[in-house]
Amino acid sequence: MAADKRAARLGVLALVGMLMFSLVGARLWFLQTVEQEALQAEVDTTKLRTVPLLPERGRIFDAEGRILADNDRVLAVGVDWQVLRDSDNRAEIFRRLSGWVDVPIEEMEARFESEVYSPFLPMPVAEDIDERTAIAIQERFEDLPGVQILEQSRRVYPYAPIASHVIGYMGRITAETKDFYQGNGYYLNERVGQFGIELSMEEDLHGAWGYVTYEVDNASRIVREVRRVPPINGNDVQLTIDLDQQQFAEQALETQLKLRQQQVAINPRDPEKNFEEFVFPEYPREVPYKAPAGSVVVQNYQNGQIIALASYPTFDNRWFEADLGGGKFDEIFPSVDANGEPIDPDESILVNRAIQGRYNLGSTFKPFVAFAALDTGLMGVDDYYRDEGSYRMESVEEDKCNDGLVRCVYRNATCSGTGKPCVYGAVDVETALAVSSDAFFYRIGELIMTQNDFQPILQEELRKFGFGSDPGIELPYAFDGTVPDAELKALYGERGVIGESEASGYFTGDNVQVAIGQGLLSASPLQLAVGYSTIANKGYVMKPEIIKAVYQPGVPDSAIQGYADLTEAKLASEPNIAGEVVRQLPLAQESWEEIDRGLTRVIYGKGTTSDFYHSTTGENLFYYYPESAIPLAGKTGTAQGAGNFPWNDSSAFAAYSRDPARPYTVSAYLEKAGYGSQAAAPVVKCMFLQMSGITQADPVRLSDALDTSSTVAAQPRQLSETSCYDGRFSNVLTSE
Amino acid sequence: MATSFLSRRPDSGLGNIGASPADPSRNVDWVLLAVQFALTVIGCFVVFSASRTRISADPYAFATRQVVFAIIATVVMFVVMSVDYEFWKDRARFLYGLSLVILALLFLLGIASGEDRISFDLGPFNFQPAEMAKFTTLLMLAAYLAEERSEEVSYARFLGGLMIVGAPAVLVIIQPDLGSASVLVSMAMGVLLVAGAKARYIALITLLSVSTVLAAFVGRLVNDYQSARIRALVNPNAANADDLYQAENAMRAIGTGGLWGKGWLQGPLTNGRDIPVMWADFPFAAIGEQFGLVGSAVVLGLIVIALVRIWRIAHLSRDLLGTYFCAGVFSMVLWQTFQNVAMTVKIMPVTGLPLPFISYGGSGLIVYFALFGLAQSVHMRRMR
Repeated sequence: MAADKRAARLGVLALVGMLMFSLVGARLWFLQTVEQEALQAEVDTTKLRTVPLLPERGRIFDAEGRILADNDRVLAVGVDWQVLRDSDNRAEIFRRLSGWVDVPIEEMEARFESEVYSPFLPMPVAEDIDERTAIAIQERFEDLPGVQILEQSRRVYPYAPIASHVIGYMGRITAETKDFYQGNGYYLNERVGQFGIELSMEEDLHGAWGYVTYEVDNASRIVREVRRVPPINGNDVQLTIDLDQQQFAEQALETQLKLRQQQVAINPRDPEKNFEEFVFPEYPREVPYKAPAGSVVVQNYQNGQIIALASYPTFDNRWFEADLGGGKFDEIFPSVDANGEPIDPDESILVNRAIQGRYNLGSTFKPFVAFAALDTGLMGVDDYYRDEGSYRMESVEEDKCNDGLVRCVYRNATCSGTGKPCVYGAVDVETALAVSSDAFFYRIGELIMTQNDFQPILQEELRKFGFGSDPGIELPYAFDGTVPDAELKALYGERGVIGESEASGYFTGDNVQVAIGQGLLSASPLQLAVGYSTIANKGYVMKPEIIKAVYQPGVPDSAIQGYADLTEAKLASEPNIAGEVVRQLPLAQESWEEIDRGLTRVIYGKGTTSDFYHSTTGENLFYYYPESAIPLAGKTGTAQGAGNFPWNDSSAFAAYSRDPARPYTVSAYLEKAGYGSQAAAPVVKCMFLQMSGITQADPVRLSDALDTSSTVAAQPRQLSETSCYDGRFSNVLTSE
Repeated sequence: MATSFLSRRPDSGLGNIGASPADPSRNVDWVLLAVQFALTVIGCFVVFSASRTRISADPYAFATRQVVFAIIATVVMFVVMSVDYEFWKDRARFLYGLSLVILALLFLLGIASGEDRISFDLGPFNFQPAEMAKFTTLLMLAAYLAEERSEEVSYARFLGGLMIVGAPAVLVIIQPDLGSASVLVSMAMGVLLVAGAKARYIALITLLSVSTVLAAFVGRLVNDYQSARIRALVNPNAANADDLYQAENAMRAIGTGGLWGKGWLQGPLTNGRDIPVMWADFPFAAIGEQFGLVGSAVVLGLIVIALVRIWRIAHLSRDLLGTYFCAGVFSMVLWQTFQNVAMTVKIMPVTGLPLPFISYGGSGLIVYFALFGLAQSVHMRRMR
């Protein structure tokens, strides 16, 4: 009985099941037999059209919220690929369109053939058309099948050419980068960052495409919207660059280079020939400086932020948005000269020398060698050495020296008063830095090697400051630099940069050269600034930071033209305001102070008296430097160039503020412009006078439209007033 | 010839002949097992065909994961099979309580994060507590009803059963996941029916469910897309084009398959991007387009065989508990299959209910394997 009831109830359940399956089964049968043809017809006539929706590229702001890079919406005319594949159709469409958009038929054909456009987007035949033309084309919809008006975006740089090297520029996706960008959801038509922040922050700035899918009928008319995925706009990026300082740095650099071009280097007379002959007899008495290029770095040494980063020759990044033909572009940015030879690298424009420059640092390098000596215990702050004007290596046997097999004697730089190497007498670390005694540092170069079993101790110490490694700045192509060692020499030997016998090992002589910043040592001005910042903050190697913040899209404009309203901005990620300490260098406080005192004396004196009074290398230049200005410590450097010709001397200078409330480091490097104290130091001095509020800077203004008839990469921009360059004896050859 | 069955030596042949015929390992329902695996294998292929064009990186991504889920699910099933189903009776309360806690946790997490949540993100896969609740609620309800050894369910016990189902159902509805809630309700209806609930009790549940759905609408507990989907069925012109569009395309896919289908990987709508999340929501459309009426009938036929076998086990069960278990499994599979296929052919509104064994999804697959394991366990131990 009981089992029967249960069976009956289970029967009900089965019945329900049967009902449900019958219902579904019947419907299936109906759909797949009776309805089949009708549904097939529906599918055949229903077509979808998907239109990608462009994300708006993120903007770039300076530290004050000035809009450095913005977007303009522009209209373009595009044609569906489907229409173009048939050559008759194509010819007809191009013929009809040509007059409307003022583009010759041949150019449209060339675009069709070029294979640089995405097959998923309509092929653009004309960009930046005016609204009236767009409307006229849209109204002739019937005559122009497959022709669409597209909304595109164009980059604008409201303050160009200021900071063009930093902001960078955009360009087409190239054959090399095609796979990368396509793999990341880009369309081939897109322009992407090619240089500067535009390149390094591409991922943040770009955003993501959206799309809208329409169902269209046979005449391509939209029946309904099926699906819409809105685009995600790119994040806005704020730089640490302050455009006021940036503009001043660029002006001060350019002005000084042009001043130096009017100066001459003196062909020295040979003291060994009784001053009767020139050292370089094939050259005249005076050779003008070329002073073709240079760079300036301004860093906050407490948080590592880069406040200005100038490089000359500079350019206007709006050229890259000006749709230049190939000819005009090559005229403005030549890659070959009139004879078809590659241009002189001195003249190259699209290089940010502040981070890409590969330079000998000359004597600006000496504080780091002093650190190495103090840190390894090679010498203490009280140790003295008698500088006799030259240094003779102790570790090499007499015979070898006499045979001329090994160079054993290294001379100090020439004193202008005597025409012979300067003799500084008894010097300690402080004084050696102040007067830039080469002999003192030659000795460190030798002893640090010979007293440490020829281990690369100096190299290890120098690397601590970041030399020879990626500075970690968020900009592309930053130079790692080189710290010479056996490995580097072998590599250079393989490449044929140095001779085979030279490449066979790392010798004491190499170390002696490194100790004064010559030889195979190379670094960028940015690395120089980071090194001086480390001395300034007594041991913290700060990562050079150029990104101040990244904001979510939609930061509104401010009421002040050219500014964004950052009070309304939402951060995309938490910025590191305190900066990133790469490493901390432990050194006794008194040792840091010893170096600091030496560098302070470079600026303020006093020098040292041996045979006569030797002023410090910056003493004369900074003689009138006001007390109210930011107190400084710094060091000059002169890097010898090709052939050791004086006119090939490159000028370096780095200095930092001794006032922690104004924690700035400035480095400058002027190629082939003379002694450090002549060319680079005045630029740094001007920079600090400006930051002290003593020199008035030109206000930063929104720029006028780009003059497209011009043929120069950037219009000259110079300081209106040049007195900040002057020292005590202007144009007097101060000794190195 | 001379060797007859009777003369076979006791220790030869399959298994241990010395064991009792009632030994559970000798009473596996092989038909049910075979059907279940056939469906799962078909499912992996269908998932592949419906997902391969959607992801540019790896066309096998979803299918591979589905195979991995199937392997995990098989292990889970054998574990469930190997224990006597009486085992669950004492643990039902704990497991049921655990499910409620997890569901509540999910709800709170949803409030905290300000978005709808139907799953926990566990790195490689998403865990859907609603799927777990299907299993544990069945255990609890069956155990509860089996305590009363009578042929009729008293009104009090009926109300108790209603509450057992009601608690997880409400938590699932507010996720919001109407589909899973409907599975819980259908399971309750099946079990209560077999347990001897009077027709008016069943009517009461139906009324309650309908009013819950209505209340959900009024209280805006149902999220926008679900209400849009239902409105799409009622009034196609007013509905969101996107929802209408996917259902319509699913129907078109099936219809254009015709009698024999367009062939393996030959379905334009399956290959295109016209039916969003096809591998999880509309696998039946992929079957219909590629294999036509014949293919659809084979798949539905296999599910019917499975249902018949479970129904048979419900009959054979040695006790009420086993019968209730099977009745619950039967109802859930029946309802979920019906709902999924019916929405694909546009006679029911679109819900995210997967097609058992076919649809892509780890949680769903594992739970159905566990449920079938439960039915197997009842079959294996039908002879005491």
